[in-house]
Amino acid sequence: MLTTVRDVQILLLAALLLGGCASKGWRAVQTRSIVATINTTGLFPLRPGRPAMVAMCVTEFVLGLGLVATAGRAGAGGAGLPATVVRVGTALFFLIAVAALNETRQRRPQAGCGCFGDFSETPIGWRTITRAAVLCAAAVVTIGLPPLRMPSSASTAELWLATTALELSLIAFLSPELGEILVRLGYSEPCELRRLPVGQTLAALHSSSQWRRYAGQVSASAPADVWREGCWRFVVYPGFARGRRVDIVFAVYLQARRRPPVRVAVLDADTDEVLGKTELATLALSTRL
Amino acid sequence: MAAENDAGAGTKPLAHTVMGWILDVSPHILVLHTRRGEQRLPLAACAQAWRGGKLPPAALRRGDHVVVRRRLSGGPAVDRIWAQVGRVAGTIVEREGPATLLIDEGPAKGRKIVVIATEAAGRIQVRFPRLEPGYLIDVIGLKHDGFLRALIPATSQPPYRAGHPPAPPLVSGHVPDPVSGTAVWHEPGEEPEDLLGLAYPALDPETSCERAGAAAHGAAGDLHAVDPHATGPGCVRLPYLSVGSMLRLHNECAKRSQLLPVTSCGAMARLFCDRCVTCGTSRKGRIADLTVAAFVELGGVLEDGCFNATMTIGG
Repeated sequence: MLTTVRDVQILLLAALLLGGCASKGWRAVQTRSIVATINTTGLFPLRPGRPAMVAMCVTEFVLGLGLVATAGRAGAGGAGLPATVVRVGTALFFLIAVAALNETRQRRPQAGCGCFGDFSETPIGWRTITRAAVLCAAAVVTIGLPPLRMPSSASTAELWLATTALELSLIAFLSPELGEILVRLGYSEPCELRRLPVGQTLAALHSSSQWRRYAGQVSASAPADVWREGCWRFVVYPGFARGRRVDIVFAVYLQARRRPPVRVAVLDADTDEVLGKTELATLALSTRL
Repeated sequence: MAAENDAGAGTKPLAHTVMGWILDVSPHILVLHTRRGEQRLPLAACAQAWRGGKLPPAALRRGDHVVVRRRLSGGPAVDRIWAQVGRVAGTIVEREGPATLLIDEGPAKGRKIVVIATEAAGRIQVRFPRLEPGYLIDVIGLKHDGFLRALIPATSQPPYRAGHPPAPPLVSGHVPDPVSGTAVWHEPGEEPEDLLGLAYPALDPETSCERAGAAAHGAAGDLHAVDPHATGPGCVRLPYLSVGSMLRLHNECAKRSQLLPVTSCGAMARLFCDRCVTCGTSRKGRIADLTVAAFVELGGVLEDGCFNATMTIGG
């Protein structure tokens, strides 16, 4: 059983190292700047931050790849030298990480570790440090491990899976990034922050029942004014009603799909007096529908 | 109990603030030339003046441009005077020698020259360790012809380059209302100097300043200039509004509130992901860039540079 537990560590460590490298790289590619990646981590606040960040990313990549490459027969003939070097290097890497995280937590308590790019902006806490320590221990137990083989029986395979699931659960519990990832997966941008073109708002307005109701009173083809208050975009058309000049104000709720709610008010163009029953008075203008 | 003053909707007269040029000053009376003509203002016994540093009001110079605040508790007596005060906040685009900087304040405001005063160099260098192109600076000082003599760091320099502010945390559901953060002030530029209002950092990109601003700025083609409209939402998520939208701003330090209109585009404020520590530590990010008149009416102290603020959309 102990051998199974040790076997699992190699692939887990490799996945985490390569995942950490990929998320940092992805952040740098997205922002076209290594500096942006450094900004998410408090580990390298000083001038050598950029080369240190690159070195860390490269180390993660090399160790992750090395763990996979030396896991099988090719690299590790019992206590083969390349496998031992990579595994000792991995253990050292996580040991240094524990010390660096602890130091950063004391010096810059607001800084995130940046371990997984911009997912790791939560200030460093005991969970992040413990995770590094657990991974260090995981790397230590792999030293001297014989080459990996496929499970010899169904029960061994089940033990593999159970150990993997248990360890993944532990790492998930120790990872503040998990909450951030779940938030992003289920994230829907609030309507106040949604960027929608004016043309889309006008198209939605022109296909609404409110527009058809007031279109006969509108005297211009283009709106006289358009502005936005949070979730609502307001469109003003000049018009004539009851023998006088009016401003017809439409409020269109900003949503990308379905028919958005549209409300309307008619105002005297000279006195701004509201004519008839207004629907806009009940609007919470900035935020709520 | 918060003091309430709803006088300010851009055009109404200022309740506590007077701006003008000094015609005469004595220990008891300040005579100003203002847009409304000559005004004689009694000085409170405890009146303080600032002209690069604190000094007695009688030591101010004729011809100085001043911002004067009457007692917030009421009455005509003046208790604070700021002479020749100016501020520059933006991206450093050029540095000449150890003390002369060219600062880009964004597409709307253009560029200004800052000369760091010798006596303030140490203090500014501590708060702004990277006085080099591409990094942000925000300093307060004395206005001179064509440049600002920087004397006070208005904030600490963010560690990132101006074009890479950190992304704000995601918001689920709706944007919080009210929203808390930092309120700062800016020089009037082309606005009337007694305008009560604020530059809002998140104007609707479809109908407000962003498109024109971005096009104009792109033409400058400067290596280090940063177009604030192209750098994301900044570090605080604010709902999109338009020029003319009304906001109620509360100064948590002076316990004063006021209903203010959005009068201009404050996209540059999005680049500054800082906190105000005037009274406690504010939440991160600038939520309002006030006109001088609005800042002073709300009880702000100009040389402090900011106050901790809470903003309610629509009042």
